[in-house]
Amino acid sequence: MSEVILHAEKIDKSFVGTHAIDHVTLDFYKGEIHALIGENGSGKSTFTSCLTGIYHKDSGTFTLLGKEVNAKNQVDGNYQGVAIIVQETGTLSGLTVAENIFLGKEDEFTKFHVKNTKAMNKKAQELLNSYGFDYIKATDIIDKYNFEDRKLIEIVKATYFKPQVLIVDETTTALGEKGRKELFKVMKDVKDDGRCVIFISHDLDEVLEQSDNVSVLRDGEYIDTVKSSDVTTDDLKKLMVGREMSGNYYRADYGEPISDEVVLRGEHLTVPGEIEDFSIELHKGEIIGIGGLSECGMHEVGKALFGASYDREGTVTTADGTQIKDIKTAIDHSIAYASKDRSTESLVINDTIQDNITLPSLEDIKRNHILHAKDERAFAEKYARQMSTKMVGVHQFMSALSGGNKQKVVLARWIGKNSDIIILDSPTRGIDIRVKADIYQMMDKMRKSGKSIIMISEEISELLGMADRIIIMKDGRQNGEFLRHEGLKDTDLIAKMV
Amino acid sequence: MSNFKKFRQSHWYGLVMLAVITFVFWAFFKILAPQTFGDFNKLQTYLKTALYYAVGGCGLYFICVMGPFDMSVGANIVLSSVLAVNMSERFGYAGLLIAPLISGTLVGLLNGLVYIKLKISSLIVTAGLSLVYEALSIFATNGKEAILSPSYRAFGDYPGNLILALLAFFFCGFILKYTKIGTYTYAIGSNEVVAGNMGVNVDKYKVVAFVLCGFFVGIESILTISYGTSMTSASNLASMSRNFPPLMGTFFGLAFKKYGHPVIAIVVGEFIIQLLFQGFVALGAPTTVQNIVTGIVLLAIVTMTIKPVKGAVVK
Repeated sequence: MSEVILHAEKIDKSFVGTHAIDHVTLDFYKGEIHALIGENGSGKSTFTSCLTGIYHKDSGTFTLLGKEVNAKNQVDGNYQGVAIIVQETGTLSGLTVAENIFLGKEDEFTKFHVKNTKAMNKKAQELLNSYGFDYIKATDIIDKYNFEDRKLIEIVKATYFKPQVLIVDETTTALGEKGRKELFKVMKDVKDDGRCVIFISHDLDEVLEQSDNVSVLRDGEYIDTVKSSDVTTDDLKKLMVGREMSGNYYRADYGEPISDEVVLRGEHLTVPGEIEDFSIELHKGEIIGIGGLSECGMHEVGKALFGASYDREGTVTTADGTQIKDIKTAIDHSIAYASKDRSTESLVINDTIQDNITLPSLEDIKRNHILHAKDERAFAEKYARQMSTKMVGVHQFMSALSGGNKQKVVLARWIGKNSDIIILDSPTRGIDIRVKADIYQMMDKMRKSGKSIIMISEEISELLGMADRIIIMKDGRQNGEFLRHEGLKDTDLIAKMV
Repeated sequence: MSNFKKFRQSHWYGLVMLAVITFVFWAFFKILAPQTFGDFNKLQTYLKTALYYAVGGCGLYFICVMGPFDMSVGANIVLSSVLAVNMSERFGYAGLLIAPLISGTLVGLLNGLVYIKLKISSLIVTAGLSLVYEALSIFATNGKEAILSPSYRAFGDYPGNLILALLAFFFCGFILKYTKIGTYTYAIGSNEVVAGNMGVNVDKYKVVAFVLCGFFVGIESILTISYGTSMTSASNLASMSRNFPPLMGTFFGLAFKKYGHPVIAIVVGEFIIQLLFQGFVALGAPTTVQNIVTGIVLLAIVTMTIKPVKGAVVK
């Protein structure tokens, strides 16, 4: 094995009531892509956040090429040789692309407190061009670009100065095909250059494909490090969860009849620039899967059906003939929606778990027109525990939860609301396998009890495994429809996606 | 992309919009009141008032972009103006210029520090401290009206006022475009958590924003007292009404931020507001009608300019 580039010695970090990382000792090597995996809340992101200065560790040392790393913030971390690309948006609106790339490093272009904007823009454009992103203009306000392009800008920002250790934290879930390709290319360049990538992902196939070694954390403790070439995804699942996990956690039935009763009908739905003439009929007790490439418009379908799309044309009608034109009508008619972008569209991030779960159900919790704190707490606790949310208590703030646990709260909210029609956009994005299995079981149970689900997903195996019917979208339009049967293959779906 | 779409996204679009709006309002009132409105001399008078409000608007811009608010601008103007009168009596022009700059800046510093240390809403902090600044203005004048000596009124008229205001505008534009403060002001306004993670000292730059606001309000005070020649100390938040004229310019600055000319937008915005006020005066409209129409027009212009994305969260 090559030389150690980064040594983590007994890294320890606690939050109020949670021991997030428990004296973790780990080595990372030169020329290595080292995956870090574990369930939600296992401490992966906390570990890398301590390294990059987003959090401050309680004890322990990081040693990079013989020098201790003690980053105060991300930029300080950059100067000490470590960089991170995060899962959520890490660029700032209102600033230019160049200002975003060099945020915190303006001194490189400043003389006597005067910023040389021209030089900064020139340098930023050179960097963008060198990554092959020449269609992105350094002088443009970053708001002009979509989420994926902003992620590409973040990649430039995090890597242009050749950090010794690059951390890619759950970034791939936010990227489409193009973005993933670019990211993997950058990761390979870092590795080939004799530096190191710490790669965090819940997609175990992707982990085995991209990494050389995999380290596993569980409940904040270091479990093991294995060579990617020596293990299977099932081996990794076992290490993550601590027990055998069956590879097949999807529903097992095929050919079950679907009710004729239509509970939701969307007709000729068009959202300019997103979806075009989309129609759908959802039956009682049915799971419809909607798939496609990331930018195919499928994510907008969920919003359009929930009355959350603006400029929507066409109609959405429930079984009793009610037209769904806005969110309130949708919720009043037992429709629930969990957005892909949970941090900004699904959760009140600066509020507690309790408030997030009870929010749409306050009318149901009220007794004699009065809300009782005890009832609210009991309600939130019941559904948070049902989703196995890792938390100190329901009074904990959402911002303190890991990505996967946030998603559990979103789902707990709608289970608590007991809606009959549930629209789930990317329900298992950033969620570990144990909870994934729980979610699939929950969906199956809901289906059997007569609830209807629309599941929008970029994961083909999830669509094949869970849906009664799969609609594939391309360029905003329906491009194929498949009924559930054993012989249906991922290649059939892919053929309609591209 | 069509040429018009390209033009709409360019910096020039903002400038052309401002010019068109200005011309439309001028033409509107000129047609209705050709004798009493809008000749060259009158336009100079409107501009004179707009200039000093715009200087204060530049200061408020630093704070409003970040998200907080400063309710003490009016009290700061009162205090700084009476101190300017007092100090001009002792030190001449040096006192007139330096005293309000120091007092305005100190007021900004105190606002910023209290806001950061107490971690309570800037609205509450600055409204509370306004009472203190008003009380100080009473101490400084013994409750009497402070009158600026005719010997020191050069900044109340052209070219003195124009030179001072232009210096302030250039300084504001320079800070926004050519210093870290400008970049960090926008970064904190966009997402202060991410900005903090990028090494931006969020608390420090919030204090800097308050200090800059106070500094520009200090300059506004020089222009105010020079033009108005007298200032009465205030109490019971009577100074609050002075908060709003500079704020209107700030609204224009925020609305035209995306076109890259916030300072020009603040100045022209204040001028447009003056055209409206003076236009109604020329038409003989009662003050209440003036206020209603001015408020509606301000909202209409800002709404048209911002063109909020449907569904965007607006706070």
